[in-house]
Amino acid sequence: MNLKPIIETRNVDKHFGAFHALKGVTATFYEGQVTAIIGPSGSGKSTYLRTLNRLEAHDAGSITVDGIELNDDLKHLDAIRREVGMVFQSFNLFSHLTILKNVALAPMRVRKMSKADAEAKALALLERVGLKDQAHKYPVQLSGGQQQRVAIARALAMDPKVLLFDEPTSALDPEMVNEVLVVMRELAHTGITMLVVTHEMGFAREVADRLIFFDHGVILEDTTPAEFFANPAHERAKTFLSQVRSN
Amino acid sequence: MNWVKQNPGWTMLGSMVGLVLFLWGLGSLIALAPEPIGPAAKEFADGARVTVWLTLIAGLAGIVIGVVAGLGKLSSFLPLRWLCDFYVWLIRGTPLLLQILFVWLVLPDVLPDSVKPSDFACAAIALAVNIGAYNTECVRGGILAVPHGQVEAARALGLSPLQTFMDIVLPQSMRVALPALANNLASLVKDTSLAYAISVSELTMIGSRVQASSYKPIPVFLTTAIIYLTLTTAFTTLTSALETKLDAGRKR
Repeated sequence: MNLKPIIETRNVDKHFGAFHALKGVTATFYEGQVTAIIGPSGSGKSTYLRTLNRLEAHDAGSITVDGIELNDDLKHLDAIRREVGMVFQSFNLFSHLTILKNVALAPMRVRKMSKADAEAKALALLERVGLKDQAHKYPVQLSGGQQQRVAIARALAMDPKVLLFDEPTSALDPEMVNEVLVVMRELAHTGITMLVVTHEMGFAREVADRLIFFDHGVILEDTTPAEFFANPAHERAKTFLSQVRSN
Repeated sequence: MNWVKQNPGWTMLGSMVGLVLFLWGLGSLIALAPEPIGPAAKEFADGARVTVWLTLIAGLAGIVIGVVAGLGKLSSFLPLRWLCDFYVWLIRGTPLLLQILFVWLVLPDVLPDSVKPSDFACAAIALAVNIGAYNTECVRGGILAVPHGQVEAARALGLSPLQTFMDIVLPQSMRVALPALANNLASLVKDTSLAYAISVSELTMIGSRVQASSYKPIPVFLTTAIIYLTLTTAFTTLTSALETKLDAGRKR
């Protein structure tokens, strides 16, 4: 496997007031790798993901994405955000724009693509997630699962090297989870780097190359899914797994 | 009406075309009326045009002021926030008539002698500053109503802060702020009548003059009122159609 680092974090710290959310998190992610990040609520896994494109600024430590240091330099930030796409738990589709414009907006504004090119590209991506026929509707007219597939298409429209997923199926009705996972599974096989914060253990086990278990702001386990599910090394991970399984 | 709801774009166009036609045909229409209205037809038509110009200029400038000051009130830069707070506090706390008189009396003294603002310009400035203060609060409320996730999504896609504001935050905040802004605009149409105090020949001034020379208040004020009603109807039709248009994507 090609092991070229794409994201490197060193001793990343983050506080929310008195709450110490991330305690010196160090990890390296490689091109083409699909990493599942799991852990209990409040363990810092979403916060960690959000520091990677600076939706949360880290207090200390360093984050490097595709060779660019993530800091207060807005040029660096813009460069990184062009390479890193994000899919949110609550979709966050632009509610005043049609599906087509949701997907076409960023390539037009950020990549300066012409309207015709951007919309052609958007249509192709919508076809890929099975929603070409919904292009002229507004987000509220779509189901949650459909909205999340649009959100994935929107992120892909920028041709990112890395896709961050922040609990992409947690806000969905159970019967819609699968349609989103199908799209994500297909993406995982295209060689794009994916970091997925998730509660979907099935997805983590089947699709991820690597599994990270967060607890109390630190990475407790960093291993393969097979190893993690068979032999969790820490007591905390065992408890977590038994609770997830009993549900 | 269903048609109006389904065709907001055409309704907006229609209301504006209607307004222009009304102003254009007003003179000939009123000329048909008996004494004392008929002979003063041209004055009424001119007065109505002045009222509409005051409304349009102050209304548009007031939107710009409202957006700028509304953003200022949300700024993290304290002095700017204080300045905008002070502006809203001052303007909302003093009578519009006083503001109009103040601009009219003070502005010519402050400006260099080569620039002589007309009475009309003084009225337009005072009205714009006034409605701007009220708009500020509406815009601020609208911006606060945009969910933070919308901003995060735009920033994560690489849009700059300015692009995020222009493409995402402003259009979404406007559909929240619009009903209140429309309210301010409807008030503005009638507030232009206070320009009467600084001798701008707007509609109320004309009515008052015709009344003073004819001693027939009922037909004069009826005519004036009907013209105002037509104008406010045109503007409220415009704003409610705009509301429908911006509402796209809000409900099923």
